[in-house]
Amino acid sequence: MSLIHIQDLSKHFKILNRRQGLGGAFRDLFSGDYRTVRAVDGIALDIQPGEIVGYIGPNGAGKSTTIKMMTGILKPTAGTITVNGQVPYANRIRQAQIMGVVFGQRTQLWWDLPVIESFKILKEIYRVDQATFDRHMEVFEKLVGLKELYSQQVRTLSLGQRMLCDISASFLHNPQVVFLDEPTIGLDVSIKAKIRSVVSELNRVRGTTIILTTHDLGDVEALCRRIIILDKGKILFDGPTKKVTSLFGAYRTLKLQIDDFDDTTLSSLREKLAGRFGRDHGVTVASIEELWTDVTIDQARTPLSDVLNFIMKTFPVFDVRIVEISMEKVVQQVYEGALG
Amino acid sequence: MRSYWALARGSFMVGLVYRFGFLFSILGNIIYLGVAYYLWRSIYQGAETLRGLTFNETYLYVALGSTVFILLKTYADWEIAYEIREGIIAVHLTKPLDLQLLMLAYSLGATLMNLAAITLPTVLILTLVFKVSIPLGLGLALFPLSLLLALLISFCFDYFVGLLAFYIDSNWGISMTKEIIITVLSGALIPLQFFPAGLQAVLRWLPFQAIYHTPLMLVTRPDQGWETFLPMLGVQATWAVVLVVLTRLFYGQAIKVLRIAGG
Ligand SMILES: Nc1ncnc2c1ncn2[C@@H]1O[C@H](COP(=O)(O)OP(=O)(O)OP(=O)(O)O)[C@@H](O)[C@H]1O
Ligand SMILES: [Mg+2]
Repeated sequence: MSLIHIQDLSKHFKILNRRQGLGGAFRDLFSGDYRTVRAVDGIALDIQPGEIVGYIGPNGAGKSTTIKMMTGILKPTAGTITVNGQVPYANRIRQAQIMGVVFGQRTQLWWDLPVIESFKILKEIYRVDQATFDRHMEVFEKLVGLKELYSQQVRTLSLGQRMLCDISASFLHNPQVVFLDEPTIGLDVSIKAKIRSVVSELNRVRGTTIILTTHDLGDVEALCRRIIILDKGKILFDGPTKKVTSLFGAYRTLKLQIDDFDDTTLSSLREKLAGRFGRDHGVTVASIEELWTDVTIDQARTPLSDVLNFIMKTFPVFDVRIVEISMEKVVQQVYEGALG
Repeated sequence: MRSYWALARGSFMVGLVYRFGFLFSILGNIIYLGVAYYLWRSIYQGAETLRGLTFNETYLYVALGSTVFILLKTYADWEIAYEIREGIIAVHLTKPLDLQLLMLAYSLGATLMNLAAITLPTVLILTLVFKVSIPLGLGLALFPLSLLLALLISFCFDYFVGLLAFYIDSNWGISMTKEIIITVLSGALIPLQFFPAGLQAVLRWLPFQAIYHTPLMLVTRPDQGWETFLPMLGVQATWAVVLVVLTRLFYGQAIKVLRIAGG
């Protein structure tokens, strides 16, 4: 039986279109001009016990909203959802006992107290007995090695340290499922690696089901065998991570800053690249951030070094960065049928 | 229950972190005690009793009132509004906890902290510096119980205004209004005996007097019997039960419209 079963699930928010200025705010008091945001729009999925699933998508895709419904803190507008056979929203307090949650942007630890006090309070909240508590703390100590932080006030922890404590805390009561909503946000590479290894270890040792949202495909690649891609409240892809990484793993984006950038630069860059490498060359050009021109290259078809050499010779480039393909790009490619 | 006790303990410890703030609270209290002393002295002008209260009784009422005020303000309305605005409420709701009991536990912890850090020192100053005598009697013995009921009632008002933040972006205005209504109509500043008779009759039927007037009168006039105190506590307990039930019902409605910010 699936641990999580979701069918036709939707969450719509009615939002007041706010008028500008003081007068506008005043008029908003009396007349509502509402628009509906379909944050989650008819999704279906099943998650089996012990899985680690990467739940990804661009900003505003509806990932956090889905998680809030799975944890029972938001009521779905329509559709069914069960976790371990129970409706989360109807049994919030009982269901909370089998779940652990980390919202990357906030902490469940007590900001003003030493780290260990938070663990002690959580121990009481989840009614973890002393022997189990000691055993789990030992596991965290082995994996995370944060004992020296226990007496430190949570507010003084670095973001990475806090996240490691938060993740440990979410496993304290041995939940059946843990939701990690952007646990690697704003962290550097070494802390990310640590978090990945901790999460994968906890999943392996305890068999805990994990739902992970992130903007870093690297997290998914390292942890999840299965990936679900969401955009605008709809599921675009649900399948093996391998399928996605084998397609996009070869993609790299060259981010360029070009001197005297103007309206014609992009089209002339496109022309020249097409002239040099051919039409079906796996090289696309776009400008997403101001000042930066993104050239995305499928290395399976065209070597990155060739493209870079060519551009450097042809254009007055004064800054270059090479990055892995972005979430937005993946979603765009999926729309265009890449995973078809 | 142990989980809520742990939360109260945590909130007590948070209070300890901010212990230096208490020095200022105590200092502010002392200034207030001084001002109130001279104010009421001049109102009494040597009169033996006013409205049936001696100077010592009135001053004890007013002085104790200011420190009880600090004990019974729970800030649950600010806390809930803040947590909704920042989306922190989501973290609480993912725990196997009842929101009302959680907030009550926080309030209780803070109240115990304030009791130790502000009220007890103030009472010491009151008796040692201002030479106010605290009369003994049954009323004094019942005072802690009455205070606990008062905290429950006060909390329900704050919690109710907090839940309003589920519906509206800012409950600030309502919060301020509630603050003023309770402060004036509960007898927190002046014993209700000094109010016009007609108003007194109305206030007797409202829950506000159960917050400050009842416990303070227990201390001011402790030398009476059960036949006086039992009805007073009975009214308090009734209000506490009624308000707890009403706010629980309201929560059931409010949670349905909760939208959680951010993430
Ligand atoms: N409380 C709310 N009220 C109104 N609209 C909301 C609310 N919460 C979310 N939304 C809207 O629902 C959509 C989905 O939001 P959600 O937070 O689920 O996205 P997300 O996939 O988690 O994005 P991100 O990666 O940026 O965290 C967004 O358009 C957002 O503006
Ligand atoms: Mg999110």
